[in-house]
Amino acid sequence: MTVQSTDEAPPLPHVQRLFAVLADHRVLVSIVALALLPWLLPSKALAVNVLIYGVVVMGYNLLFGYTGLLSFGHAAFFGTGAYLAGIAIGRWGLPWFAAVPLAVACSTILGAVIGTISTRTRGIYFSMVTLALAQLVYYVALQASSFTGGENGLRGFTVDHINLLGVQLNFLDPLNKYYVLMAFAAVAIWVQSRILNSPFGAVIEAIRENEQRARACGYDVERCKLIVFMLSGAISAIGGCMSALHLSIVPLDILHYQTSGMIVMMVLLGGARSFFGPFIGAASFLILEDVVSLWTPHWQIVVGAIFVAFVLFLPKGIWGTFLDVLPIARERR
Amino acid sequence: MPRRDTKLRRTGVSRRTALMGMSAGLASLAMPRLGRAADDTIRIGFPTPLTGPFAAEARDQVKCAELAVKLVNDKGGVAGRKVELLVRDDKLNAGEAATRTLELIEKDKVHAVVGALSSAVQLAVNEVTRARSVIYVSISQSDTINEAKDFSKYTFHEALNPHMTTGAVARQTMKKGMKVAHLVADYAYGHEMLRGFKRAQGTIGAETVGEILHPFGAADYSTFMPRLMSLRPDVLCISNFGRDQANAIKQAVDFGIKQQMKIVVPVILHNQRLAVGPDVFEGVVGGANYYWGLETQNKTAAEFNAAFRAANGGAIPTDYGAYGYSGVGSLLQAMQAAGGTDTDKVIAALEALKYDLTKGPQQYRKCDHQSVQSVLVLESKKKSAMANDNDLFAIVASDAGTEDLLRSCSELGHPT
Repeated sequence: MTVQSTDEAPPLPHVQRLFAVLADHRVLVSIVALALLPWLLPSKALAVNVLIYGVVVMGYNLLFGYTGLLSFGHAAFFGTGAYLAGIAIGRWGLPWFAAVPLAVACSTILGAVIGTISTRTRGIYFSMVTLALAQLVYYVALQASSFTGGENGLRGFTVDHINLLGVQLNFLDPLNKYYVLMAFAAVAIWVQSRILNSPFGAVIEAIRENEQRARACGYDVERCKLIVFMLSGAISAIGGCMSALHLSIVPLDILHYQTSGMIVMMVLLGGARSFFGPFIGAASFLILEDVVSLWTPHWQIVVGAIFVAFVLFLPKGIWGTFLDVLPIARERR
Repeated sequence: MPRRDTKLRRTGVSRRTALMGMSAGLASLAMPRLGRAADDTIRIGFPTPLTGPFAAEARDQVKCAELAVKLVNDKGGVAGRKVELLVRDDKLNAGEAATRTLELIEKDKVHAVVGALSSAVQLAVNEVTRARSVIYVSISQSDTINEAKDFSKYTFHEALNPHMTTGAVARQTMKKGMKVAHLVADYAYGHEMLRGFKRAQGTIGAETVGEILHPFGAADYSTFMPRLMSLRPDVLCISNFGRDQANAIKQAVDFGIKQQMKIVVPVILHNQRLAVGPDVFEGVVGGANYYWGLETQNKTAAEFNAAFRAANGGAIPTDYGAYGYSGVGSLLQAMQAAGGTDTDKVIAALEALKYDLTKGPQQYRKCDHQSVQSVLVLESKKKSAMANDNDLFAIVASDAGTEDLLRSCSELGHPT
């Protein structure tokens, strides 16, 4: 990807011109792709999960893929979003459309707190600090059992009907549910695209590439890191709200560090630094788990082996590798 | 023709290329839908933790549930329809279990769900089935699921509950004035067992001298043992499950605790006793829903054992396995009585059902759908007293199944 070769772009073949147009509308194209998902996957519940984890991983990718900050505690935002949405609906009696923004706002504040502490460190120390603070959130949820249900998880906030401009939608119907939740995902995708297209998006990528140089250019690196941490947490919290609405429960496992690990695995599998990679990663991981565990109780061996193979042979993930291969194919033509 | 600055052009390329393969990516996601059974089949969903620390118990449950289905199918099915069991791995994770249950209901169109093996998981399954009006027979110990807050008219609790097992064990092992110490796994199961023991102690008049919580899945209990010994209790109650139970008892024995006090557990697990051996478990007393040795005194148990042996190469059924058999079996009997799978009729049939599948008469109490059943109290035999490798326990008591074993409906918050 050198910059010198841009003065005279060769005329593109038709197919590639089409893709170039599609690329200019990545939000729309991503949404259309996701809209087809329920018909492509073996079950609607799986499709909803791909949507949810796709959004969570996308939020994480903003931090990890685009800014280069490897957080090990992203489950904190996923879980906080889910818990607060559930508590707001079940305990405070708020309607879902008020509960979701509230949950996202609180998660952003949590992002500010965790971000302020953790972005003072770098490298492995950053990862460890985020992990420790996320575990803190886990234990708060475990101990505050009168609020969160503790070990048994949060229950009692089933949303079975949604009032959309006067039309009563049966939210228990899997397809209705999918498309309502897809609206949340669409907002998250649009926000992410706006962030990445803005000058701020360029700055965080500059920080990833060379922090010293970004600082030398006059950017306030610390503040940018904090802001991206908050934005990343907010987007992941949208995924958390979707999960709460989807399952009608919030299991305590959602805050466990294994969930954070799963988010990292998904982003590596799909390909960090790519816009649609998180969804590909979430889909591949969940489909593998879902399908293989139907065949054998030893699914962990199969999924683990495949993951190792990907890390060894496709370090840029499925989508990242795909994107790498494409320009070569174009040059050969 | 550069219409953008170089920075945006760079993202433009990656964006374009990102979309190039979208169709290919989606094509790779597409996969043949897994086949669904013919529509007149009765389908029962069975989420259970085939992976994770309770995998041994889960595998036994699957074997027994399959046996219950096979026996019914051999006799021509339920109301002339074949029965199919759809086993799913819930990975001992409540979120996963809820997703699997949603799949079973939405995609596989199951007529009922049986299963789950931990408190959090069964409450998750309960929430999903309740919202969708699907019958659920829970086969894991829980007190919460019977309480009015979590009650669902679609949910039946076939397993014993902590109140029942701790009560039976305490009545057998404790006397007025005894000192009792508790080692408790710090999660819902442990807390419910502790609550049950303390309640029973209150009636008996035994005094609690200490409670120590340990994290779920702890491998090392050595730090707790000196503290427990310093409390000088007469009885030590170890309230944990699965491998935790085996590890905790093993280390208690290493510390010589048995010479000082009696070790009791709310539920004594067949598989953990097999895993650790007779020397460690010798003399440990615990409650159980089932033990194969019941066959000498109970005709139903003998029949159940015989059927299980025939289907599994001479192996014997375990305690948690028996839940799989009685959970699925009672549901199928109710469906037979209701003449099909109509939800309201099956609920009415389950409420009216008197069944005897593994160990004597059982029935579901109407107010909270808890199965009223006998509770066994078992003592682990020493090696020299064992007649063969499967002769693990002596049955020291069998409390007959009456409502006295349960908390009252009004106490659980149900309208009476």
